[in-house]
Amino acid sequence: MTDVSAMQKQSQVRIHLHTRSGDIELPQDTGPILVSTELKRYQLSTLVNRLLETEQPVPLEFLINGQFLRTSLDEFLTRNGISAETTLSVEYVKALIPPLYVASY
Amino acid sequence: HTHLDADDVDDELTIDQARLLWAEHESSTRNLALVLTEHLRLVLQPTQATKMRGDFRTGKRLNIKRIIPYIASSYKRDKIWMRRSVPSKRSYQIMLAIDDSESMAESESKQLAFETVALVAKAMSMLEVGELSVVGFGEDVKIAHDFSTPFTSEAGAQVYKQFSFAQTRTNVRRLLAESIELFRAARLKAAGSASELWQLQLIISDGVCEDHPSIRQLVRQAHEERIMVVFIVVDAAAQKAEASGGPKQSILDLQTAEFVKDQAGEMRLNMVKYLDTFPFDYYLIVRDVQELPAVLAGALRQWFAEVVESG
Ligand SMILES: [Mg+2]
Repeated sequence: MTDVSAMQKQSQVRIHLHTRSGDIELPQDTGPILVSTELKRYQLSTLVNRLLETEQPVPLEFLINGQFLRTSLDEFLTRNGISAETTLSVEYVKALIPPLYVASY
Repeated sequence: HTHLDADDVDDELTIDQARLLWAEHESSTRNLALVLTEHLRLVLQPTQATKMRGDFRTGKRLNIKRIIPYIASSYKRDKIWMRRSVPSKRSYQIMLAIDDSESMAESESKQLAFETVALVAKAMSMLEVGELSVVGFGEDVKIAHDFSTPFTSEAGAQVYKQFSFAQTRTNVRRLLAESIELFRAARLKAAGSASELWQLQLIISDGVCEDHPSIRQLVRQAHEERIMVVFIVVDAAAQKAEASGGPKQSILDLQTAEFVKDQAGEMRLNMVKYLDTFPFDYYLIVRDVQELPAVLAGALRQWFAEVVESG
């Protein structure tokens, strides 16, 4: 049997991005996006800013099932017992206060 | 390899329910199976018309190209005749590999997957050209029906019963590695000449899999061992999303976002269409089982043409 834990790092998950703020809505429905489960808030923010084609990046926060994403997607999925087989519905909002953990980027 | 253990499925079907559901799939695809059989008959069977070939001392027809050398050699090079050659009888081993992962249930691809199985199994049995096996894959690979057992309606029901669509990973790399082993073992057991045995794998899945580079390598290896791999992407979610005006769901819209280090060592975001890196040479996207006979026959015809050319 192959070591399953060694393969977990390769994991990817499909996400569907959406927002309730009209000013940062994606220009068109992008469809699902496949990302590594290693991604954290910062990379997801980079991704959305790329899709928004913003000149000045807007810092964003992410909500999955109503919870702010504070860890990697992988950790979030594991903690909440969600399988990477499902398409994650990911809501993004503007980060109002600069996050305290800026230094950890 | 282990056989699927139906006991660890909570909402497991009874065999009677499985029989009923399988019978429904069989009857809903009956006419299409006839169409597919006709397509496949043309594609799979070698040309029945015999050809004149070879250089013989006696035979049916003169080989015109040999006449001048024959005269020039003072009638010594006298193998100037051609004979009818008898086409060899090919046999086939076809493996249906069905994605048993959770994403299949989410995308409602289960029904389409089973219609595909019923369709292909029926056509294969009508053609009487070989053996059929069914495996399920997700986290690991499980044999739901092996090559040595005939595929009857009862076998169909048994296969149906063994799928749960609840596996929490889709390990296509492992599927390929283990299927190559299964095909090797089946080749050794096959009756008749190994060179006339053709092996084909049809993967039926929603198409979402990871680690494309190593999958590509295994596809190449399968090809070298004369195992053809056709990936049938069941894109059932696309239609449903379109109908309900919901968010895009088709694999055609799927993008991969990847952070990769550039030459300066900085992380850059790369976005590519998922299908641009899809590791299978032969794949088809099916949204409706009605489309399947024609597209499947088309893919096989293309493969046979290439095999004949390269041989
Ligand atoms: Mg899957």
